[in-house]
Amino acid sequence: MTPPTLERGEDFWVGRFAAMGGPCEVLLDLDDRDEALALVACAQDEALRIEHKFSRYRADNIIDRINRAGGEPVEVDAETARLLDYAALCHEMSAGRFDITSGVLRRVWTFDGGARVPDEAALRDVLALVGWERVTWRTPVLTMPPGMEIDLGGIGKEYAVDSAAALLARRTSSALVVNFGGDLYATGPRRGGRPWAIGVDDPERTGQGVLDRVDLTRGGLATSGDARRFVTWQGRRLGHILDPRTGWPIEGAPRAVTVIASTCLEAGTLSTLASLQGPGAAEFLRDSGVEFRIH
Amino acid sequence: MQLAAPERGLAARRRIAAAACALIAAAVPTAAHSQEATGSWTLDTSILLYGEQDRTEIFEPVARISRLFSNGHRLSGQFAYDAITGASPTGALPSGQLQTTTTPSGNTVTIAAGAVPTNEFQDQRFALDGEWEAPLARTLKSTLGAHYSSETDYMSLGGSASASYEIMDRLTTLTAGMGYNADKVSPIGGTRTGLSDGTVAVQGLDNPKNVTSGMLGVSHILSRRWLVGLSGTLQAEDGYLTDPYKVVSLVDSTTLEVSGQLTEKRPDKRQRASLLFSSVYHLNEDVFYFSLRGYSDDWNVRSGTLDLRLRHELANGKYLQPHVRYYSQSQADFYVPGLIAGQALPAYASADYRIGPLRTGTLGLTYGFHVKGMPGTVSLRAEYLRQWLATPGGEGEGEGGGGDDDRAAGGGEVRAGPVTTATIDPASIQSNMPPLNIGSFLIGYTVNF
Repeated sequence: MTPPTLERGEDFWVGRFAAMGGPCEVLLDLDDRDEALALVACAQDEALRIEHKFSRYRADNIIDRINRAGGEPVEVDAETARLLDYAALCHEMSAGRFDITSGVLRRVWTFDGGARVPDEAALRDVLALVGWERVTWRTPVLTMPPGMEIDLGGIGKEYAVDSAAALLARRTSSALVVNFGGDLYATGPRRGGRPWAIGVDDPERTGQGVLDRVDLTRGGLATSGDARRFVTWQGRRLGHILDPRTGWPIEGAPRAVTVIASTCLEAGTLSTLASLQGPGAAEFLRDSGVEFRIH
Repeated sequence: MQLAAPERGLAARRRIAAAACALIAAAVPTAAHSQEATGSWTLDTSILLYGEQDRTEIFEPVARISRLFSNGHRLSGQFAYDAITGASPTGALPSGQLQTTTTPSGNTVTIAAGAVPTNEFQDQRFALDGEWEAPLARTLKSTLGAHYSSETDYMSLGGSASASYEIMDRLTTLTAGMGYNADKVSPIGGTRTGLSDGTVAVQGLDNPKNVTSGMLGVSHILSRRWLVGLSGTLQAEDGYLTDPYKVVSLVDSTTLEVSGQLTEKRPDKRQRASLLFSSVYHLNEDVFYFSLRGYSDDWNVRSGTLDLRLRHELANGKYLQPHVRYYSQSQADFYVPGLIAGQALPAYASADYRIGPLRTGTLGLTYGFHVKGMPGTVSLRAEYLRQWLATPGGEGEGEGGGGDDDRAAGGGEVRAGPVTTATIDPASIQSNMPPLNIGSFLIGYTVNF
């Protein structure tokens, strides 16, 4: 494990490390360097713990065990059970649009900016493996038809942000922000009551341009959408957000949907559910009364 | 497919907010104990009790532990111990007179008239198995295995290798494997010449028995509910294949009384082939398992096995799984209930019920549940087995064990049937016995940590 780096901002510390497939930052509104380093290390431990436990790219975790069970029932631990309960709720509330079994569709879709779409037969075969409603989930035992796979990537990062922030908040009364790859949570106002200034990246020019600025005091913020991942088909640009019911990309989804809510997980879930509405994303968020930005 | 419209609006948002909040609130204590199970270890333990009516009893505890590593490799080890006690039929026919027979410990016992001659025995077996599974690529996996087991008169050492490859968007898996076992049979009391009176025994002989096997299999996901598989296995056995303690009775052609006995003798080669079709079908919540197996060997034993299981989910992670199995085999070419005294001896002969015309029916039920406050799953399985011998050319019932059926451990009573002519065909000696009842009970516990 590479130790985190620590850098002094104008009047706060920024700790950085890599986890969950991207850059992670912890902003700490305090002066003691050792305290800052210990807190960043704590956040890193939590990020790596959750990554190891729920990454679908690892072969030694509960997700791999579930995905390789070959139709046999798998008993899961309490934390996994809570995440599955949450995923099941999202599936139900989205009427099947949010589905943690839809990851297998990536076997046939490549969003590299090219013009390749899967042939009908290949898509039909893989689509046969999608559908949370086919899974028997009775806490704590999951029985999934053979060949199906689950992927908690859609909620895992946001969950890790909230969990790490809650963990740090128990260890310090100083305000802080946990930011894992753009999904973040702020625990409170900075000294002097100032909010944290959050830039919303231009999804097409990551790190080079800021589309917007959000002042955040306390709460979660998450953005969904990635405009660099698409295919062009029949003159149409199809983004990478797939509809698990058809196996095809949702058309007309905004480039980026940023939601500000009470937790990072809530923000991430709402931005994902909104994106799944395609052109109806803004209306969906307006109806829910949540604070959001659409670009 | 759900066709309902998604929930939206303020109420929907509050529902998500509350669920997310509850999830995070519960996460903190978990994170604080970050040593908590990543779940890379699995422990699987069981104790099997097996009892044949008035015959063999087996007590078998098994422990299996496996560890998944972050690079996808899996190592597993299994230890099994068997304590076997009881009586196994020697193959001799019951007689009207007292009859003598030797036991595995080299002693002589006398059997009361009319009873099925059996060997009283007691043995212990230790077995160690190791397996290493290595992912070579995302769709290619290799498995290497090693086996060692030891009992008083038998030692087995073997190795296996297999590879599986996923194709067609990982919907189809191809598997190929091979194995080799070098076993040694060291009969207690010495190795006796086949089809002899058994008085001459060569001491201290380790008789080799080698088994080479090859397997090809394919499994395919037909739909999200249905997985089917087909696999074929070829096996060549070479060496000492005779059972050192089994005998064949000699029957007097006029009195029909048992007049003596010979040691049994089997060929020193056996080619086996089997084909297995299996299916796993997911109903809405329950899972239906079906398998059909066909088997044939060059001793002319043919068999078929039908196996059905249904896992029925109950509330709170409990389940019930009924199990039905039927097994039927034809007898080996050289299987004889008894030989006629004074007639020319065949090249091979065995009265072992396990290569006779055996039938086995099994009814079982498994109940799985969780103990509150304890991780893991407990399962209880009870099975009732009934074994009988089909009389050649008729529906008369005999009894025995299986040449191909590993489950058969019991023995059979054989009785000389009504034979009236002076030139008796050995085939006319009837197997005419009550079926054997067998019970087994298994308690298992599986936990990840």
